[in-house]
Amino acid sequence: MENSYDVIIVGAGPAGMTAAIYAIRANMKVLMLDRLSPGGAIINTNEIENYTGAGKLTGAELAIKMFEHTQELGVEFDYRTVIDLIDEGEWKIVVCEEDDAVYQAKAVILATGTVPRRLGVPGEDQWAGSGISWCAICDGAQYRDKEVVVIGGGNSAVEESIYLAGICTKLTIVTMFDLTADPKACDQLRKMPNVTIYPYQDVLEFTGEDRLTGVRFKSTKEDATERYVTCDGVFEYIGFQASSAAFARLGILDRTGCIEADARMRTKVPGIFGAGDITVKHLRQIVTACSDGAVAANSAASYVESLKQ
Amino acid sequence: MITEVNEKEYEALDHSVPMLIEFYSKTCGPCKMLAFVLKDIAKQKPDFPIYIIDFDENRELKERLGVKGFPTMLFFKDGKEVSRLEGLKQKPAIIKAIEAIA
Repeated sequence: MENSYDVIIVGAGPAGMTAAIYAIRANMKVLMLDRLSPGGAIINTNEIENYTGAGKLTGAELAIKMFEHTQELGVEFDYRTVIDLIDEGEWKIVVCEEDDAVYQAKAVILATGTVPRRLGVPGEDQWAGSGISWCAICDGAQYRDKEVVVIGGGNSAVEESIYLAGICTKLTIVTMFDLTADPKACDQLRKMPNVTIYPYQDVLEFTGEDRLTGVRFKSTKEDATERYVTCDGVFEYIGFQASSAAFARLGILDRTGCIEADARMRTKVPGIFGAGDITVKHLRQIVTACSDGAVAANSAASYVESLKQ
Repeated sequence: MITEVNEKEYEALDHSVPMLIEFYSKTCGPCKMLAFVLKDIAKQKPDFPIYIIDFDENRELKERLGVKGFPTMLFFKDGKEVSRLEGLKQKPAIIKAIEAIA
């Protein structure tokens, strides 16, 4: 088969690109695919300050550096949307949406990441990445001494709110239900003097002209009171979705759709590996994604070598 | 071929020719990644003209063309806008829009 590879990496975010670098340096024949562009979730991040050694740079700048690194090493890359992955034992068949393209590889590394669940209200697309963020650790610092709204009331929302309330002048939480995070964390947040919580609310829209300036929302209780809160930034934490629908048939996902992988990033299907945000993990950061990618590529290379014996 | 133009240069273009106009911003991550995709498309379709315009520096033109955000891709045929794509889009979707006018 013409489209045969040792390793196919699905997803060209930090995990996928690092896996590509490690795989090609292990003398594997590598193909990296991404449905949109290299970079993954980081292209929507304005400033990255916690990737060791990189200083302060934008997500897109880091993505470009990583992609150029893969290209300098000769990683083959194409724009493809993978819609199915079939395990045929020694060969894995990767089926793509475009032109019915089909590839085969001895090992496949799945690094398609996650997408934040979005509200889908007016203004959200307009300010995504420049006013609305999904990562307080990444973007919180730019809102020091400013006013911020957090959407959501689960663990992520509450934990990030505690962090943000420590640096912002005013923090408003707008959530569909009441706070549902760990009670201790909720208590801690409620005691913070600059925090106002609006439970049982539906967000209606994000407003602004040259920049985001506020959020309009409405009570889901009988009174249906509508409110408007001004702010400099919004953080949305209403959950995330793993981009894993194409791999559901393999039985490698947990109930939330994330890939279950062991410490060597192996799934329960021999030859299929997971890396980065798509896997079950606690801390979803660029540095942990890169680490996963390196481990997955190392395991994939060992697996491919083992097939030769 | 990808060429950067400003408002004045845009006006001087031969608008009878099918073309793709992309509005971008220097500060926008998805715009930077779209540049990769467009570069790849330009390699595949070297004769198809792609013009890129700085959203922030050509405000009158973007107002006139009704461009509200970035990146925004406008597909023109015979001087008329046939379709538009907003945000970072998949390469096949862009190719499809080009093939519909070329």
